[in-house]
This record gives sequence, C-alpha cells and structure tokens, in this order.
Amino acid sequence: MKTTLNFQDADAFYESLLDAHSGLSREESELLNARLILIMANQLGDSAQLQACIAAARQMAPPSARSAPLPREAQPVE
Amino acid sequence: MLKTSAPNPDEALSKSDEFAQGQGYALPEYPFVAPPELSTGQRHRYPVVIVGGGITGLTLACSLARLGVQAVLLDEDNTVGFKGASSQGICYTQKSLEIFDKLGIYPAIAKKGIQWNVGRTFAGDEEVYSFDLRQQSSLNLSAQPPFINIQQFYIESYLVERIHALGQVDLRWKSRVSAFEQNTDFATLTVETPAGSYQLEADHVIDASGAHTPFHQWVGATQQSQPGDDRWCIADVRFSAPLPAERHTWIEAPFNENRAVWQHLMADNVWRLDYQLAPNADPDAMSSPTHVRARLQRQFGDDVAFEIVWVGPYASRSQCLDQLRVGRVFFMGDTAKVVSPFGARGGNTGVADADNLAWKLAAVLRGRASPALLDSYNEERLEAAQQNVRVTHRTTRFLRPANDVERSFRNAAISLARQHLFARALVNTGRMAVANTYTQSHICDATGGQSVPNAAFCWADGSQGTVNDLLLWAEGDLLVLVFGQLSAGAVQRLKQLALHAPVRSVQVLGQGERPQAREHVRDLNARGIGHLQGACHVFGHAWALVRPDAYLAATGEAVDSDLIAAVEKTLGLH
Repeated sequence: MKTTLNFQDADAFYESLLDAHSGLSREESELLNARLILIMANQLGDSAQLQACIAAARQMAPPSARSAPLPREAQPVE
Repeated sequence: MLKTSAPNPDEALSKSDEFAQGQGYALPEYPFVAPPELSTGQRHRYPVVIVGGGITGLTLACSLARLGVQAVLLDEDNTVGFKGASSQGICYTQKSLEIFDKLGIYPAIAKKGIQWNVGRTFAGDEEVYSFDLRQQSSLNLSAQPPFINIQQFYIESYLVERIHALGQVDLRWKSRVSAFEQNTDFATLTVETPAGSYQLEADHVIDASGAHTPFHQWVGATQQSQPGDDRWCIADVRFSAPLPAERHTWIEAPFNENRAVWQHLMADNVWRLDYQLAPNADPDAMSSPTHVRARLQRQFGDDVAFEIVWVGPYASRSQCLDQLRVGRVFFMGDTAKVVSPFGARGGNTGVADADNLAWKLAAVLRGRASPALLDSYNEERLEAAQQNVRVTHRTTRFLRPANDVERSFRNAAISLARQHLFARALVNTGRMAVANTYTQSHICDATGGQSVPNAAFCWADGSQGTVNDLLLWAEGDLLVLVFGQLSAGAVQRLKQLALHAPVRSVQVLGQGERPQAREHVRDLNARGIGHLQGACHVFGHAWALVRPDAYLAATGEAVDSDLIAAVEKTLGLH
C-alpha cells in the first residue's frame, strides 16, 4: 500500500469529491460513497493491497499523535 | 436457497400434516426386520456401523458396498425424506453426480431429474444479470452436467435399491441409537427397535444422523456456531402451466415486501419457492396455508392454478465441529457442519464426505493402507466444511444486511451491477457448491488436492470410457495415469509398483503415440478432443496419481522415486 504522495492533484480530487456530494441527502451520500469505494476497489484489484487499505483506514491515530508534527515530506505544499 | 432442512424434524412433520390439501409425496416404506441380536441375545462386533439413513449415510453405505466392505446402517425411521412428505435438498452438483455415477444410480437421477443452465438475478422488477453454465469451460470436462435438480428423497430411494442389489450392507430400519460408549478397542451402541433393544459393537462408527445428533454430547465433540436471524418459508408448488426451466433469484422481490425470493425447479413439475421473511416474523405463522397462498398469488397472479405440495419454515444458522473424528466416531454431513442453504453446500458436502471416507475405510479394512489414513478424513473434510461455512455466511450477509451501512453497500453493488460488468461479482445470491480442494492434507502432495472431473477417453479397442470406469476397474486401488511415451525403465518401474503396492497404472496416449504399457487408453473423446490431461491438471509428459474418490494425490514428471513416495504418502504410510 502506498503511503507517500501518489495523487497527481490532491486538492482537485478533494474538491471534486465534495462537489459530488453537494446537495445530496445523508442516505444518497452514503450510497455515493459506497459506489465510489467499490469502483475504486476494482481499480486496485489486488487482494493484499485492498486488505492493507482497509486495515489502514481502521487504524485511527491515538489522540496524542494527532497534534504531533508530520514528517517533513508529508507536509502540505503551499 | 437450494437445500432446506427444517430446524426440527417434528416441526416439519406437523407442517406436512397441516397441508392436507397438498398432494405431498408418496414415500417408499421399508420393513423392519428383527436383527439376529434380538433372537440370539448375542453381541456382534462389526467393522463399520453407520448411524443415519439420509443422503450422506446412504451414500457411504452404497460406496462401502461397492468396495466390498460389510457394514450395518441404523436408521430411526422406515422411509427416506422426512416422514409424510418433504423435499429437503434439490440441487446436485457435478461432483455429486459423478459420485452417483460411480455408485450406479446416475442414469436414474438423469432420467428423473431436471437439468438447468440458466440463472437470472433480479432486484425489484429489473434483471441485474444472468449466467449460462454451458459457457463455463471448467464444467464441460465431465460426462456429467453442471447440475441436476431432483428431490433428495428420490436419490435416497435409488441408493436404498442399489444397496439391496449390492448386498454387503445390512440396512436396519426403525432402529434408534439410544446410548453410546467407546474404549480403546471398540465402541458399543444400544439400539431401540419395535421388537426390543439390543447392543452391538463397532470398530468404526460413522454418525450421519443429522444436525440434532446425540453423538456430539456422547463423545464430547466441540463446535463453533453462529445463530442466524434470517428466516424463510419454503414452498414446493406444482403449477398447471410450467414456469421457465431456469433458476431465478430476487434479491428484492416487489411481491415479497422487497425481501429475497428463490424460484427453482425439481422433478415432477414441482417448483421450489423460498420466501425470505421479516427478521422478527414467526416462521410457523408465516408458513400457514393462508399466508403461503396469498404470497403465491402476489407473485403469479390470481388466475394461475397451483397446488402446494409441501411447506416448511426455515431458520438459517451455521455450525461446524472443531474435529470431524473423535476416537472411533467420524462425523459427516449435517453432523459435521450445518450451513445456510445457499449454493447447495449442505447435501452435496455430505455426499463428498461419504465418498472421501469410503475408500479410506475400505483400504484400511482390506489391509492395504495404514490406519493413519483415516485421520486425513478430518483434515480434508474439515477444511471443506469450514470453507463452505465461510462461503455461505458471506451470502447470508449480502441477503440479510445487518445494519444501514451493510444495506448501503448492497444498494451500491446492485446499482453498479446494472451498469458495469465488474460489479456483478459483488452480487452474492449464493455461490454454487464446488468440489473443495484440499490444501491441508498430510496425504496430498503440494501438486495434488484437486478433484478430477469424469472426463471421457477412448479405450484401447476404440470404445468410450470415462475416469469413473478407470476407478471402477481399479477396485479401490490407486490409479497412476502416465501421459505420453515411456522409457523402458519407466515401464519396468510401473510394473514393479503394481506388484508391490495397491496401485494400477495406465498409459494415456496422445495423438499418434504408440502404446508401451499393457494397459493404455487414448486421450480422445467422442468429439475428437482430449480432456483427460486437463482433467488431471497436468501438461505434457507427466504422471497423475488419482485416488478412488477422483481426487489428485500428486502429479510429477519422471516415473521415479517421487512417484513411489507419493503412493506411500497417499496410503498414510508416512
């Protein structure tokens, strides 16, 4: 699983994700998210990568770690 | 939903009585014959005692009889199916049909049963996708079709007839086991009959008496179980105008309050309809004649004439023993595991359990294999049982989402499946049973463990044969198929092997190759295609060591010490 930056344009993706949800009810948003996850999962395909992604999503950082500074290379670029 | 067993046989009995207006089925009845123990008062010791005369116990009895092994089968009833009228399992896989072919009852099943190839899945009024089994090449290697649907009791009655014809097995009806104990030398069973009770002793006891077996408690067997809250009403219905000969499944049926419905065919123009009920529904009340008639009319309209043959409630659950062997007792069929009935993974697994143990018992009792061979039954069939529990549990989760998130993912999968091919793989209305592969068995090499389909070939005289014919010819011994030309040394080594071990070898010739071994066949079926090599999962010059249950023990290239070692391993010798 990739944890370093792989997005061509992270901000643009994030914006289009929010745009896709705008005006949707909570239920419609849930369906959209579920569809998106399934479509993206099929792009990956690889079982080990998918398992690693699910595990990583479940791994919430402990509260103390949240305020710790990120490593330099992961800091957002202005 | 393809295989059903009522949560409690007594419940099924009362249901069938309730449906006096249905025709039901006339089931054969078998006479109780007082066994010698009751007249002589003497105890006998038998090498094999089978408890339970359902599809699993009868398949084992018939398999043993065919291999010349004597056994006693005890059944508490005097008929097949649940007494009165019932259908239970309806769908039999290619592997089961191949096993029935070996036992000699396949022609009767093919004649009575219904072949089907097309399945359609609907959500609401729309078809989400369909499949055609004729397009699955892996299912085209065998002489048997992918599936035949037939009421379970027909198969059971064919097995009883066949066992009577073969001799060897003493079928004792109206014989209920009421007590059991075992020590290091033998097991003792107490049997209640209409003419009194008696005791018998056994070297090996096979419990195939069903999910409510008392043996779990008697031997202290432990298990993992998951209670289910998914409830169904099962109706076997005869229509005046036939429905399409296809499997139809609705994930969300408008005529069943958007819950699931199964529609599948059987022999005698009877259709199996399974209606998913609300989680809090009382299955007994919802299976009343009034409710069932109303549901059928909602599905088919008011002017369709039908006759209810049988109705039963069903509550899904799953359980699996931790060990399928405890001392002298072997568990198989529903005593080994209970699965949700999706994909026909109940009855077909019981048939495969029986086929797995039969040849091992025969080989050990005839002194041709180590008693350690019997432990591989647990390794192989426990792996299969656990796999089937896992697969059916996944289907249950799809058909009965546990919460809003699970429902949301299901809606996503269904809506995507309508638009994109890839998403059909996520729509899970049951994964049809397969011949499970063995990866954990100490008697299988890493190259083995797969089932060998019953592929056709040409005998030396040009007539057609199949893998089953070779297995019958081998009479319970192992079979080495050697593909391609042989060196002189290899011919000698195969001869020596056959002299010193329970192994028969056959050379399989490709096009234009000359025979070098006395026993040889040509890999060419009636359509001019060679399927035998593909069925054995090998390519080019190779040997395949095939077990009497048509599973690969090992494969290799040179006829050398690897083959000898594989033979020893397959017989449990190391």
